[in-house]
Amino acid sequence: MTLSGRFVLLLALGVVPIVLFGLDPVTATGVLVLWLLLVFVLGGLDLALAASPRAVTVERMLPARVRLGESVTSELYLTNTGRRRLVGVVRDAWQPSAGAGRNRSRVVIPSGERRLVSLTLTPFRRGERRVEQVTVRSRGPLGLWNRQATLNAPGRIRVLPPFHARKHLPSRITRLKELDGRTSVMVRGPGTEFDSLREYVRGDDVRSIDWRATARRNDVMVRTWRPERDRRVVILLDTGRTSAARVDNEPRLDTAFEASLLLAALTSVAGDRVDFLAFDRRVRGRVQGASGAALLSQMVDSMALIEPELIEMDWAAVPGQVRSITSQHALVVVLTSVDAAGASTGLLSVLPQLTKRHTVVVASVLDPATVLAAAARGGRDEIYRAAAAERALLDVARVSAAIRRLGADVVTASPAQLPPALADRYIALKAAGRL
Amino acid sequence: MSATLGSQTDAPAHVGGAAAGAVGGTTVATPTLRALLARSSFWVIAAACILAVAIVAVLVSGGSQAAGRALAGDNVAPTGSMALVEVLRQQGVTVTLASSLAEVRAAVGTDSTVFLYDENSYLDQTQLSELGDLAAHTVVVAPDFLTLQALAPTVGFGGVSESDILAADCSVPAANRAEALSPGGDTLSIPSGSAHPLLTGCFASGTTTFSLVQVQNDTTGGIISLVPDARLFNNENIADYGNAALALGLLGPSDSLVWYLPTLADLPRTGPPSLAELTPGWVTPVLVLLMLVAVAAAIWRAARFGPLVAENLPVTVKASETMEGRARLYARSNARLRALDALRVGAVQRLALAVGLGRLAHLEEVIGSVAHFTGRAPDEVRRVLVGAIPESDAQLMALSDALQALEHATGQAVRPGSAPAARASTSVSGELPPPPAERMDP
Repeated sequence: MTLSGRFVLLLALGVVPIVLFGLDPVTATGVLVLWLLLVFVLGGLDLALAASPRAVTVERMLPARVRLGESVTSELYLTNTGRRRLVGVVRDAWQPSAGAGRNRSRVVIPSGERRLVSLTLTPFRRGERRVEQVTVRSRGPLGLWNRQATLNAPGRIRVLPPFHARKHLPSRITRLKELDGRTSVMVRGPGTEFDSLREYVRGDDVRSIDWRATARRNDVMVRTWRPERDRRVVILLDTGRTSAARVDNEPRLDTAFEASLLLAALTSVAGDRVDFLAFDRRVRGRVQGASGAALLSQMVDSMALIEPELIEMDWAAVPGQVRSITSQHALVVVLTSVDAAGASTGLLSVLPQLTKRHTVVVASVLDPATVLAAAARGGRDEIYRAAAAERALLDVARVSAAIRRLGADVVTASPAQLPPALADRYIALKAAGRL
Repeated sequence: MSATLGSQTDAPAHVGGAAAGAVGGTTVATPTLRALLARSSFWVIAAACILAVAIVAVLVSGGSQAAGRALAGDNVAPTGSMALVEVLRQQGVTVTLASSLAEVRAAVGTDSTVFLYDENSYLDQTQLSELGDLAAHTVVVAPDFLTLQALAPTVGFGGVSESDILAADCSVPAANRAEALSPGGDTLSIPSGSAHPLLTGCFASGTTTFSLVQVQNDTTGGIISLVPDARLFNNENIADYGNAALALGLLGPSDSLVWYLPTLADLPRTGPPSLAELTPGWVTPVLVLLMLVAVAAAIWRAARFGPLVAENLPVTVKASETMEGRARLYARSNARLRALDALRVGAVQRLALAVGLGRLAHLEEVIGSVAHFTGRAPDEVRRVLVGAIPESDAQLMALSDALQALEHATGQAVRPGSAPAARASTSVSGELPPPPAERMDP
């Protein structure tokens, strides 16, 4: 039971009769008591005549998924199974981050009928957004007192990572296509695969002339090469405590999602097999053996529920995890943070095991604020900030150098630049035949 | 399922079938009033029990009247006098409890006795004189100076009785029946020699001090009994010695007794009318109503529209926190050399790359190469890159600026088309060296 503003107003109106008729204290008190009696009798009558909110049944229609930043419509069907006409307000109790905005809707449902209450949800956080209950507040005919009940109507919607980096995909696919059918000029490596023979045109490298084929035919034939296919790419995501840090108002983890999605999209276009693993001390998400459109949808689906865990990454378990995915040579992309030397010892200690078998790329977000701070030398405080920033950059440079000495590759860039930079590195490795 | 806000008039049974995946029979989370009562029945019963016990305890102890007025006829506390008044009523005496002189005036008859106990001295001289003339017999308990002045000017105070036994020893019949009183109370003194014909003293403690003095009013002939010890008539002591006999003897003979304890109502009214008299009668009820309105408004606004929704929020830490913290540590401890070292190492690495020596080049090589490109003296370059030690913040800033100028000059000098040493000591006015946004292997 709740009161309405109208009831409060009616109660306050009692001042008028009390002042008009209550000349001495006893009469005034009598008028007050009478007025209170009247008001409460009216309120009780109103409450008794209000439709029961318990007689409402709720059905919910929800899309299963939505990409972060996009809007969906949540539909709530309310059926009044009671005998009275229900006039009231309905609150669909979505979590705040579901972005339902003002989630109170006025409804009028005659007995036995059904009404739709639709809300536009614009979630502003990744993950699973839930709703558990619907509260119905039923107004009496006078609008003085309300009946209120909370009904269980669970629903959930999965908010997928936005994949803003997909804008970089067309240009990278174009560059990938350029590799195709190109004669092996300087980039001929051990892994590059023979594609076909064609006639020599001016400008081709004479070293790629296939003399045997030339002998069979009258023309000079050259061999063409295509990028190797059906290689394995393992994307390993560090979801430990360092992934919670915010760079450029985006958690490191979300940047890593963007980068791995772009890489996976590019890789599946290039014909390589991608396996995705999110790991800290446990496996938080794993996508294996998918390809094409299913790959990306499975990846975003598993990513949606991954949150940074406030525990230290278990680097010692990483080689075992990679071995469980593939025993062949693969490109292992480790998306983590390259920070101070102390924080990176775990990574550095297991890198030799990985590099012995695989090609390893370590990708990390570099804070653009640090780079800016290193160049700003305005006053005393700024110089100390610049010194601290320079120290941080030197730490990153030292750890990067150590990683390179262990035979792995390092990609660091600002959050916006990391996904295309990683894609470029993949293309470069593919062109060099190092996959 | 269309998304229009349709008003379908299907029967409920059809509706359930129409929606795919619909759950029939929604469960209600809010408990009904009955369930709420059933759930909280223990507490309701417990509260009722506690309330009942408290009420019974109060009734049994009579605690609500414990703080009543002394010698009040309706006070059951040890200091009250209800015992005496009730006994008098049982004996057929009509006892009227009065709290103002007007009430006494209205209640008193020709054969009435008036009992007066003016603990707080509310009555003034004229009122006391009038009271003395009202009734045939007046009993004044614990008279103060003003009372004595008005009713029996010749009687004075006698101090506390030091006698162990207070025997009647006089001609008053009530005193003789009482025989003895509780010792140790206040006394009154009458002029020595017993020459005064209208005064009678009983229960003597000394030659002139008595615990009961009767005065005959010389104009009306009424008798005024002065009892200086107020303890004699209270519930606690009434049954001791002959206290009860004295009280009944003094108060009982007439058919009606006016039990008068003066109150504030007896004080004469002075000054302007009070605020309460000036305010209209409806003010208090309106205030009560407004209070109720405030409570109702609070309930209206505070009522929650269903339970709160919980949500786990992610932990977010700014990545630059450690950098900022380190900068503040440098600043607080004035670690100028350490800060400058960091700047220098960074600058040397960038310079080494700029002049084409690679990251691992020796410092002396870098100094020589930079001096060669910029046309500056090697010692000067060495001073900026290694040598100078900042003694103050000003020097630190100067050295930092010099580092930037050197980087800038080197950047200008190694740009294609500029000969080495051609632009020696250029002014620092150009743009800053590009920040190393992407540190990737070449």
